Amino acid sequence: MNLKNITADKLVALYQNRDLSATEVITGVFDEIESNDKSVRAFLTLCKDRALEEARRIDGKIAAGEALEPLSGVPVAIKDNMVLRDVPTTCGSRILEDYVPPYTATAIERLRGAGAIIVGKTNLDEFAMGSSTENSGFFVTRNPHDLDRVPGGSSGGSAAAVAAGMSLIALGSDTGGSIRTPASFCGVVGIKPTYGRVSRYGLVAYASSLDQIGPFAKTVRECAQVLSVICGFDPYDSTSADVAVEPFHKDLDEPLKHVRIGVPKEYFVPGMDPEVRARFEDCVKVYRDLGCRIDEISLPHTEHAVAAYYLIATAEASSNLARYDGVRYGLRKGGETGLAEMYRKTRMAGFGKEVKRRILLGTYALSAGYYDAYYLKALKVRTLILRDFQNAFEQVDLILTPTCPTVAFRIGEKTSDPLSMYLSDIFTITCNLAGLPGISVPAGKNSAGLPIGVQLLGNHFQEALLLRAAHHFEKAFLLQ
Amino acid sequence: MKITEADVEYVARLANLEVAEDEKKELADQLSRIVDYVEQLNRLDVSAVEPTTQILEDVKHATRDDRVVARTGSSDAGKTIKYFKVPKVITER
Repeated sequence: MNLKNITADKLVALYQNRDLSATEVITGVFDEIESNDKSVRAFLTLCKDRALEEARRIDGKIAAGEALEPLSGVPVAIKDNMVLRDVPTTCGSRILEDYVPPYTATAIERLRGAGAIIVGKTNLDEFAMGSSTENSGFFVTRNPHDLDRVPGGSSGGSAAAVAAGMSLIALGSDTGGSIRTPASFCGVVGIKPTYGRVSRYGLVAYASSLDQIGPFAKTVRECAQVLSVICGFDPYDSTSADVAVEPFHKDLDEPLKHVRIGVPKEYFVPGMDPEVRARFEDCVKVYRDLGCRIDEISLPHTEHAVAAYYLIATAEASSNLARYDGVRYGLRKGGETGLAEMYRKTRMAGFGKEVKRRILLGTYALSAGYYDAYYLKALKVRTLILRDFQNAFEQVDLILTPTCPTVAFRIGEKTSDPLSMYLSDIFTITCNLAGLPGISVPAGKNSAGLPIGVQLLGNHFQEALLLRAAHHFEKAFLLQ
Repeated sequence: MKITEADVEYVARLANLEVAEDEKKELADQLSRIVDYVEQLNRLDVSAVEPTTQILEDVKHATRDDRVVARTGSSDAGKTIKYFKVPKVITER
């Protein structure tokens, strides 16, 4: 059963009316994965037995006439950097190949509490470090729209699973664009909430001050429904925000008139694909036609965001990844001549190239003599970027930009040049540095049939407005 | 700034990484390019700017009593795993 033509709310209604059983649907989903995922390769691990058991439990509830939960029987895929008890969690890394976690991430726990069925764990760039899912320690995931192209990254498996109809919903994580870039490349909706909105408990840390969990779906409404479930205070995450969570999907259709939308002039960079740029102009027009006021704004420190990000993120990563030392998790190598040698041998064998590169860069940025020049300076530039947004949000309610400067690139196109890969994150990175919520919504396809995405950024904790504006865009764009 | 192969060796030692001989030159070249790029930050005068390590400073961050409580989704691995075995810690240089 391919899920391309159904949404989560419709599926739950079909269950409720007994037009479909959860067992049929989940069985069908695994048949679809079995045939379709041979070419896409979105999944690292499948949870078939558990999922079918859950489906039978939900069918039992339906038969007993019990009320269903908002996501009852909805298939969900999870990026493999979030832990699910007794199911391997690899982070796309050989160093965690045999790691089976003894607990479950809060976001997953909440999804399951709302009735969702976890179908499997999806592929990613190793430890979420990458923009293409080519850095996975296991295999490359392919873009369902063109198998010779990348799905984007680092949550490429999650985006591809939804785009290919192998799951209705997927969770990803976004540190510099890792939800929004693959959403854009795969033609699905993906949202990174405000930093602190979704508990990071059970999300394997890459850069703790930037990481945030968020959903993928085909529609904004489904993303809003999932967010309403996974957001909220969690005592197990010390950076979790104790801010009220509205039911984000309730007011999506409220009119959008008089909302002020800013278009930052710094986001028209050299090297931007002309078709992406032209489509972006169409998107601006959609909002103008919806009655929004469009203002040009300035975010003057944008050009320094990639540099600041790659110092801060790698510094945090070098510290976070120090725990993979061969003592407590999966892989262990060497040890014949002592502990220090075991650390080095294990880490050499277990980490891939990009992870080693980032650990080295981060260690360099934090090392004696360079801390002030690199890491501390980057933290100060982060302040400037945050101030840019604070100033902008005094004039406008939302900010509209392209999600990525290009459509999905070819597999292998950027692997030999890490810097060019880093620069592809230019439009998504500022949002993480400033802790803002950001969403990528499909804006049609280019002349070659490849999806183009448009990004909306909101002020802290303004997910309700962000989702409403994205929902109106989605409807208006479909009518065009 | 140029990152040399010796720099790569030094930083790798700090990070408890071993870098293969044939990777050193490639890594030195790639890191040099990245460091050259990030040095654009030197064009900004940030002497009077405070650093930002966490975005949401006005949000009350969670603190709790340090007590063990049961949580759904957790196993009893903490009770069953008694110790980790490691190789010799003190070795000759």
